[in-house]
Amino acid sequence: MQDTEERSPEAPAAVEPGARAWPRHWPLLLGAAVLPGLVLYLVGRWGEAPALQAWRTVALSVTVQAVPFLLLGTALSGAINAFVPASVFTRLLPKRPALAVPVAGAAGVVLPGCECASVPVANSLIGRGVAPAAAFAFLLSAPAVNPIVLTATAIAFPGRPEMVAARLLASLLAAAAMGWLWLWLGKEEWLRPAVRHTGHQPGHSRWAEFRGGFQHDFLHAGGFLVVGALAAATFNVAVPPSVLGTFADSAWLSVLFLAALAILLAVCSEADAFVAASLSGFSPVAQLTFMVVGPMVDVKLIALQTGTFGRTFAVRFSAATTVVAIACSALIGGVLL
Amino acid sequence: MKRPVQALLLVLSGLGLLQASLFTDMFLRYVKPGMRPLLIVSGLVLLTLGLAEAWSAYRTARRDEGHPPPHVAWLLFLPALSLLFYAPPALGSYTAAREAPRATQTRDAGDDDFEPLPATSPVPITLGDFTRRVRQDRTRAIEERTVRMTGFVTPADDGDGWYLTRLLLNCCAADAQSLKVRVHGVATPKADTWVTVTGSWHPGGTLGTDSAEVALDAREVKKVQRPSNSYMDALPLD
Repeated sequence: MQDTEERSPEAPAAVEPGARAWPRHWPLLLGAAVLPGLVLYLVGRWGEAPALQAWRTVALSVTVQAVPFLLLGTALSGAINAFVPASVFTRLLPKRPALAVPVAGAAGVVLPGCECASVPVANSLIGRGVAPAAAFAFLLSAPAVNPIVLTATAIAFPGRPEMVAARLLASLLAAAAMGWLWLWLGKEEWLRPAVRHTGHQPGHSRWAEFRGGFQHDFLHAGGFLVVGALAAATFNVAVPPSVLGTFADSAWLSVLFLAALAILLAVCSEADAFVAASLSGFSPVAQLTFMVVGPMVDVKLIALQTGTFGRTFAVRFSAATTVVAIACSALIGGVLL
Repeated sequence: MKRPVQALLLVLSGLGLLQASLFTDMFLRYVKPGMRPLLIVSGLVLLTLGLAEAWSAYRTARRDEGHPPPHVAWLLFLPALSLLFYAPPALGSYTAAREAPRATQTRDAGDDDFEPLPATSPVPITLGDFTRRVRQDRTRAIEERTVRMTGFVTPADDGDGWYLTRLLLNCCAADAQSLKVRVHGVATPKADTWVTVTGSWHPGGTLGTDSAEVALDAREVKKVQRPSNSYMDALPLD
């Protein structure tokens, strides 16, 4: 075998000088032919490793689970953009932004689904003239206070209705607080200008506008959803389970720890109550914090917000929301639980 | 991203979802059965969007629209192609081994309402029911009975027997929780094999309290087919 390979460069040369000689860079070419196969083989072998398979399953599963809700959110945002005149919102919401904030927060009850749906909707609301503070209150409260999520919470904590009440109140309070905080400290220039949500233009077909906005928002948000899903799957597979029990004993550390866990694991808001209930070694206040922080801030949402509103905004907003949400859960949890 | 690529991406995503939810039941590896209608509708919507985009790009050739989606949209090809050509399997022993068993603690707080066990022998039972019988049933009805359970194999890291396991989902595979019953008396089958085990409670601790070991002395282990919905605590089929 080796003999023929060594001799072969000369052998054809003897028959037909020059013409059939091996190409000058034949080792390179050989490498180019063999390497991709080798890499594919190694990646394939590595891809079958249990940890990597679990990672792929979790990442795909987070994406598949979120796509219907993301479609709902982007379709709604496309429809708001194309069909709803801006005057509707100015009529529905109180004139003063400080009053519009709690109203918009309470309106979150009507958007069933998980948090992925609310980001594009909030963005199109801002595009249609709703005060950003009110849109953010809606963005934060919608995933946490809708009937599906509250029902799931009641099922996960049987015989403890105070948990449902605490979740509802703490989420509404945190959402409204963030809205007011934006009125007080927020700056418009942190927000990336919404290019797409210009509303209906005379002379264009509303349906074409709806389709265009829907498609653009979905591709846009979908890409960031995949980023978030990959990050969540990485943490899901990488966080060793023994860590879970470590901080259960200290009241303050356990609250902070479950808040961090909620951000990293990015469990969807319809299911996080079951996960919280299963963390039974932790205090009720810490469990409540997990359920209040999770729908408002997590790696998936940070990725979606970065894509929609820009990085400057997402970093500040997520950091502030985390602090406010923890404070509200501690307050409400301290009173009710 | 050019318009034909956007159309292709939408069509592939739609086909991927339909492939997983309408033509096969592959979606059961990732989400709960109740998601099926939502996934089918989403697949159809994405397919329609993609075809509409292709049609409109074909008709209005050369007139490119102003706001192409960002580069990050390319990442959507990953789940689409993965669903179509390289779908990962359902979670198994790797995930179960990493988790402390805990799914039963949240259910059935009231422990006095246990019905009498059926008279058949062996008694077909779910892993969750077995755990509750062992830990909460003060009447100790499970003692001396022969039971039969189905689950997959998770090796125990301390080498003392192995675990018969089920994983349960609340929403998607990111929140899987495990149910485990330790099995004594037979050699460990290959990890992730689905088996039906017949045996009786392995004495350890006080039956009917939290100190009782959730464990089984196995008499017979039989390989079975993986159920299509593996994230469910179901009775053995035979």
